[in-house]
Amino acid sequence: MEKRKRATLYMCIPALLIIVFFMAFPLINGISVSFYKWNGYSQTKKFIGFENYITLLTDPVFWRSLANTLLYGFGSTLLQNVFGLLIALYVNSKFRGRNFIRALVYMPIMISGFIMGQILYYFFQYDGGVMNDLLGILSFAPVYWMETGLRAALVITLVNSWQYLGLCMVIYLAGLQNIPMMYIEAARIDGVNRFQEFFKIKLPMLMSSITTAVITNLIGGFKLYEVIVSLSGGGPNRKSLSLSYYIQLLYFNDEKAGYASAVGVALFFMIFIISWPINKYLVSKVEEY
Amino acid sequence: MDIKKKKKKITTPIWRYFIFIALIIVYILPMYVLINMSLREVTDIRSRLYPPIEIKWDNYSEVLNKSFFNSLKNSAFIMVWTVIVEILFGSMAAYGLVRSKSKVAERFASINLGIMMIPGLALLVGTYSLMVRVNLVNSLWGIIFLSAAGGLPATTFMYMNYIKSIPIALDEAAVIDGASVFRTYISIIMPQLKAVTVTRMIMTAIGSWNNYLMPVFLLQKKSKHTIILLIKSAFDSAGSVGNLPQAAATCALGLLPIIILYIFAQRYIIEGQIDSAVK
Repeated sequence: MEKRKRATLYMCIPALLIIVFFMAFPLINGISVSFYKWNGYSQTKKFIGFENYITLLTDPVFWRSLANTLLYGFGSTLLQNVFGLLIALYVNSKFRGRNFIRALVYMPIMISGFIMGQILYYFFQYDGGVMNDLLGILSFAPVYWMETGLRAALVITLVNSWQYLGLCMVIYLAGLQNIPMMYIEAARIDGVNRFQEFFKIKLPMLMSSITTAVITNLIGGFKLYEVIVSLSGGGPNRKSLSLSYYIQLLYFNDEKAGYASAVGVALFFMIFIISWPINKYLVSKVEEY
Repeated sequence: MDIKKKKKKITTPIWRYFIFIALIIVYILPMYVLINMSLREVTDIRSRLYPPIEIKWDNYSEVLNKSFFNSLKNSAFIMVWTVIVEILFGSMAAYGLVRSKSKVAERFASINLGIMMIPGLALLVGTYSLMVRVNLVNSLWGIIFLSAAGGLPATTFMYMNYIKSIPIALDEAAVIDGASVFRTYISIIMPQLKAVTVTRMIMTAIGSWNNYLMPVFLLQKKSKHTIILLIKSAFDSAGSVGNLPQAAATCALGLLPIIILYIFAQRYIIEGQIDSAVK
């Protein structure tokens, strides 16, 4: 029996080999590069200890990108959860066409973030952009959507939230369908109104869905990259970069591979420090109910 | 109860239809604009809200050239092999972890979450310099293994949740019949997981089709371009000397396989996602 148990464990070997070679190895390689000064292609690199990490502390572009990354993470999480839950509640009630709406809201998830950003780029142009055309029809003045870093970052947050809203909707639909009808019926007999029904019964029973949705969106938002590339190109003047995008520019444009790696390590720690406690807290909340 | 129901029927439709229409507009408009752009003459620069002055189908036939079909082939090749590698090895690993009752299995939820937190871009420097060293730049297999590695933890985690709910008595019966471990996995366990496997295959396939990050840096040769890279270069050149309607047509054609797949499998995909969200 012991032999069979070992043979069972051997089933993990192919997956393990791929993960070690194509994920763990690059990860270790990347971390070690962060202690070097290296342009990314030459044969020689110079060991400089923690210097890359010290440079990081005084690099304004790094701090700007960090702030943007936080906005992308928390902003998208907020928008997606609020609207995702609202749409889930809407789709969960019975009416004709609900499956169509469900499919429609989920559809953008099927499309690459890069391509979606590219299509929506033609919405947020100043000249001939669809958004300004719409404003024109309503006789408002056109807006420079990408004029400042903050404005571009807000547009990016909005687009990202819109595209991945369906994920939240599906998670909350799963949660709503799992609430036993008898609780709701019992409450209705007791004469609760719709708001009480939602806040006192449905919401507490959705805690585990909230956990899944918040953590997935938060991590997804912190990693945001593709949609920024095609929507704003990180501009104006690198002011709407996320840390992910900054890493790419440092490596391929600025030829600072070591420094790019250090930013990568910092990004991982940022995600970890924020997401892990939130996950712990939310999971403990789930257990309360 | 009866009175309440009647009351509802009278009061709800107004805001409900309003939301209905609003959602349709918000979610269809980008697709409308893309198709609209793709059917125009280059000289037609009126607002993209209005339909083309004259519909130019030639934009589509002109982009259906050799390089389009070549990148279609590359994307399909990467997609098929990523699905095979990720689903096969992921489910095998899940079976191994669950049934050997290893300690790793108990902690896999945290491990998976930890891996999820690693940003793809943080791996960029390490991955790219590794791929250069082992000569996997401009190799479709390099992309296949990289995306499989990225997807394996989540796939394994999902399969683990499902395998846990299959009674172990089934395995034990197979042992008594003298089935090997692999045999038990392939002919006893996997047939129970057909539905989730199909959903997972579809999701992996779509993820692979849409993959941008590693292909854009690793597949530099034009002959190795995937469909996403072809769309990217079409739009890039549209910005300078190229032809925007044709770029939009390339984009629409590149999205078509995914959209068709989605239209037919939409219910399956969403129900599958709902099901795995509950697990």
